[in-house]
Amino acid sequence: MYELEKNNDNTMTLNMGPHHPSTHGVLRFILEMDGEIILSVKPDVGYLHRSIEKIGERVTYPAFMPYTDRVDYVAAANCNVGYALAVEKLMGIETPERAQYLRVIVSELNRIISHLLMTGVLAMDLGAYTPFLHAVREREKINDIFEILCGARLTYNLATIGGMPFDIKETTIRKCLEILEGLKKFLKEFDDLVTNNAIFISRLANIGVIDKETAKAFMLSGPNLRAAGAHWDLRKNETYFLYDRFKFDIAVGSGKAGTLGDSYDRFSVRMKEIETSISILEQAFKSLPSGEVQAKLPKTLKPPKGEVYVRTESARGELGYYIISDGTAKASRIKIRTGSFAAISILDKIGRGLMLSDLVAFMASLDLIAPEIDR
Amino acid sequence: MREDIIQYFRNIKYAVTSVPKGMMVTLKNMFREPTTIQYPDRIPQKIEDTLPLNYRGHLEVEKEICTGCLLCEKFCPIDCIRIDVHKEETGRVLHSFKIDMAKCMYCGLCVPPCPTDAIRFTRKFEGSTYDIKSLLFEFIDTPTPVYKPNRDKDKKEEA
Repeated sequence: MYELEKNNDNTMTLNMGPHHPSTHGVLRFILEMDGEIILSVKPDVGYLHRSIEKIGERVTYPAFMPYTDRVDYVAAANCNVGYALAVEKLMGIETPERAQYLRVIVSELNRIISHLLMTGVLAMDLGAYTPFLHAVREREKINDIFEILCGARLTYNLATIGGMPFDIKETTIRKCLEILEGLKKFLKEFDDLVTNNAIFISRLANIGVIDKETAKAFMLSGPNLRAAGAHWDLRKNETYFLYDRFKFDIAVGSGKAGTLGDSYDRFSVRMKEIETSISILEQAFKSLPSGEVQAKLPKTLKPPKGEVYVRTESARGELGYYIISDGTAKASRIKIRTGSFAAISILDKIGRGLMLSDLVAFMASLDLIAPEIDR
Repeated sequence: MREDIIQYFRNIKYAVTSVPKGMMVTLKNMFREPTTIQYPDRIPQKIEDTLPLNYRGHLEVEKEICTGCLLCEKFCPIDCIRIDVHKEETGRVLHSFKIDMAKCMYCGLCVPPCPTDAIRFTRKFEGSTYDIKSLLFEFIDTPTPVYKPNRDKDKKEEA
């Protein structure tokens, strides 16, 4: 499939992956190297392809929900509520207010989980193993909350079409607020441990600089785009789930360590987003309305003929569901747009000229998740 | 030139001060209680008992109250539930109710539709085995007539 042209006799073709600890899943790169300098990066995707989009044509609308967990297992709740929103828009269902608040809560909790894992793994890829354990320790506490809410720790399947299958109790809210208080302390600790560490900064600053125009040209979205300096957050710019009721700022890259849009910016944008998520969660818990969590629906869901595209802000960028309905109980086509797939396309453009060890740092800062690339 | 030299020493100072700061965090965490447990042999109580009640573990079926409506079979996205119901002289009889826990993805779509809560989740999660066939659970050993809910009686009990 890939035929590499050899520029001169001194280059070497290097296979990175598919089983490589820093490729974050089963992902393969064909690198052309001149010594330790990378001449070209060719990502070879498809090792984790599970044909989720095709499965969507074979199962009914509610039965596709557990498969959306597997699109991005680190931020499964975001995928769940995104799909639920898409089908609701297709059918014109009004979701109860409390269910929408619950969706905001689970997506923000999941965003924290995902960013904690990303920051930990980034430090691990640079050779520091301790921060990863610290981050995972905090992540486990929020996983416990999810376990109380929906009964699962990773693949939640926590949304139904038209609402949420569970309700949040007062004790869970209290436990949640406690954990968020602990998380704030942890973030300060994490700053001492990683963010302000001189070695960490010099490994990430000025590495893999993506400017705003390049990021837009390669359709980057989410934290990767915001790190390049673009003020674009679907939660603000294209409000869904009553996000307009919460006050929060979009975290944008500042270039304080080196250049705007470098790997350190992508890291610090995610650290800022954890704080943003905490503040959104506190507002949501304060103003949680009472009422139903599930809209009344017919027994078999048969959306009218038509198509819909709904995009939501997942932890890894824009997560879009494009559904074509032919009027039956099964979708005619489901297309999923994910942030990681766009992010991997930029590797060759930015990766040229980097050193091999810097490519690992650059890749980790893009927050690639292999199952989200392949689906 | 002179600024370069100043910056050079500033960098050294920053590195010298920031690295011990991180080490202090590690040192602080060295003396606290561990957050992990030594599964599976040295645990104060069974893990199953510490899990929340709605934990999605292995499925179980209470055959006495199964109405044989086949809703769970219909809702399962991967067909891991297989039910055999035959019509006999006395009525409908359950002959087999198989759940392949090796196939199951613990999504929980089969549980809410059940009218009598016959199929439900347990908190059992330890499923590792040497033979994958041992995860194919059969809940009916002898043919059992399906449960017929007595609506009037239930209403009286509720009242």
